[in-house]
Amino acid sequence: MGPYDSSISPAAGSSNSSSSACSSSTKPPPPDQMDHLLAGAGYKVRSNDLNQVAERLQHLETVMVKSSPVDISELVNDAVYYNPTDLVSWVDSLLTELNTNVTVPEPVPVNTDLSDLHQFPSDMNVYGSNHAPEMHGEFSQQAVTPLEEDISIRLVHVLMTCAEAVQRGDLPLASLLIDDLQALLGRVNSGCGIGKVGSFFVDALSQRVVNSPQNGVVQVELSAYENEILYHHYYEACPYLKFAHFTANQAILEAFDGQDCVHVIDFNLMQGLQWPALIQALALRPGGQPLLRLTGIGPPSNDGRDSLREIGLKLAELARSVNVRFAFRGVAASRLDDVKPWMLQVSPKEAVAVNSIMQLHKLLGPGGPHGPPIDLVLDWIRDLNPRILMVVEQESNHNQPEFLDRFTESLYYYSTMFDSLDACTAQPEKSLSELYIQREICNVVCCEGSARVERHEPLVRWRGRLTSAGFAPLHLGSNAFKQARMLLTLFSAEGYSVEENEGCLTLGWHSRSLIAASAWQSIPKPSPATTGG
Amino acid sequence: MFPINDHVDLLIEVLQRLDARSLGAAACVCRQWCSIVRNDSLWEHLCFRQLSPPPSVGTRSVVLALGGYRRLYMVCVRPVVSRLKAGGVWNQREMELSLSLFCVEYYERLLGGGESPAKSLRFLCNAVNVGV
Repeated sequence: MGPYDSSISPAAGSSNSSSSACSSSTKPPPPDQMDHLLAGAGYKVRSNDLNQVAERLQHLETVMVKSSPVDISELVNDAVYYNPTDLVSWVDSLLTELNTNVTVPEPVPVNTDLSDLHQFPSDMNVYGSNHAPEMHGEFSQQAVTPLEEDISIRLVHVLMTCAEAVQRGDLPLASLLIDDLQALLGRVNSGCGIGKVGSFFVDALSQRVVNSPQNGVVQVELSAYENEILYHHYYEACPYLKFAHFTANQAILEAFDGQDCVHVIDFNLMQGLQWPALIQALALRPGGQPLLRLTGIGPPSNDGRDSLREIGLKLAELARSVNVRFAFRGVAASRLDDVKPWMLQVSPKEAVAVNSIMQLHKLLGPGGPHGPPIDLVLDWIRDLNPRILMVVEQESNHNQPEFLDRFTESLYYYSTMFDSLDACTAQPEKSLSELYIQREICNVVCCEGSARVERHEPLVRWRGRLTSAGFAPLHLGSNAFKQARMLLTLFSAEGYSVEENEGCLTLGWHSRSLIAASAWQSIPKPSPATTGG
Repeated sequence: MFPINDHVDLLIEVLQRLDARSLGAAACVCRQWCSIVRNDSLWEHLCFRQLSPPPSVGTRSVVLALGGYRRLYMVCVRPVVSRLKAGGVWNQREMELSLSLFCVEYYERLLGGGESPAKSLRFLCNAVNVGV
């Protein structure tokens, strides 16, 4: 694209003091400042003139559509009169050529002082009223003024451009765009919608740009206690975890039908919120209660508490109250691929259920000397011969090789999730849930390599992966579906939806699925005697 | 005038047919009525009287262990039924869900170390904006 000219040609139509809705700094821009996004595309337009140019381009379009083909062809056949780089005069000259009689509407004179935004007439819709509506539906449900809508759309646009600059390694441009973004954020409602989720993404991008664009940052670790608090509030503020727990429990209950010794292996015990309901259901099981063993896997405590043991004791107390024979074992491991099957002490006589709520995606990172972690873990799960492997994962692709693809996908995913969170009004549940989600966003955007653990993949990919690892799908059944729907009706917010998808259940907000639950059973490995020969 | 207070069994028969709100009003009549209304078996009847088939045998011991029928009604059954049903009659599945939620609430009280109201059930009690 063309370089900047050192001389600045004056705009053909004299502009009065219309201020630009697209100014890219917090203070009013100097009058001759070029809009640098358009500059990157090769056009020289002063920020002040952007309003006018937009109107005139619209006008030009209207006129061209109405003009006869003869008029247009005259224009086409003549040589280019003006340099289109100087967009303002080029548009004006075309309008003159087409001999339009319609007067261009004068821009409404407005206050150039950008700090008084509320004086900006709300019906002055700079780019026309037909904006890309498909983006708008993803963001805030609240009514926004046309101006806010414009800023929101611009915010998304600049976010994408910045992410693309980061991917290309163009750090100067990325930094510039981050300043733009901070300014734009100051002009939207940061309490909801794109303003809120946008601020998290801007934060994450700026951390990445400032610290280590290619290698990514390493997130500060929280203590086990802090993690539990965030998780618990996320559990309470929105139905995603409840849906996961209740659906998993229903499937496990059905898989354990008729079994007297059952063993559940939980890949992420946290506070054990999933298990009381299962214990109670087993207590009231028509065929009589089984002996229940629970093995909870969790990170080693870094704050002196033995939280695995504490949770085990509480669960045991509950089991004792309802008369279920119960045994608990905690396995401390910072990564799932550190767990060795012998630690789980599975007995051949018991029915085993493996429960993974949003844990398997963490194994999709770079492999160690023994191979990809996911394959190792799926292999030993299969060795346990579980009657059911319950998998709940985020329904999105945040593990694509290209940064921009991941960024775009996660922007839409988390925007939807934040939209759904708007329905929750309880505090501090809402704020702490946002913090919980923010850490996920930060991991997807800022981190790379083994530090990036939030490598979500959609259900179709998990299906392929699990099938080739030797698992066969188990249909989740109508009981699970009806229970999930009932659970969602109890949440007051309209907008959540449960769907059945080839035997799996997904929970989403409006038409976007956000979480997928699926059940699997292992196909026994062929014994050595029957192979070869 | 028939001295109903001398015939507690008759009184209970009558009270068993009331809804929760009337039971609450009845508890304010006098001390005797108050202690009768607080009797958990009245609330057990209220929870399950329209459930068919009736709950399994072990249910009572489980419910009593988790806090009793009056608590079950106030914390789970009433919000669930009011959200899910207009007629107040509910089915096996809804009962099972209520029991599960009740158990989660008990566990959260255990975690919290006391009588602090379980937060995950807050969504059941808040004013709703469902377009029902």
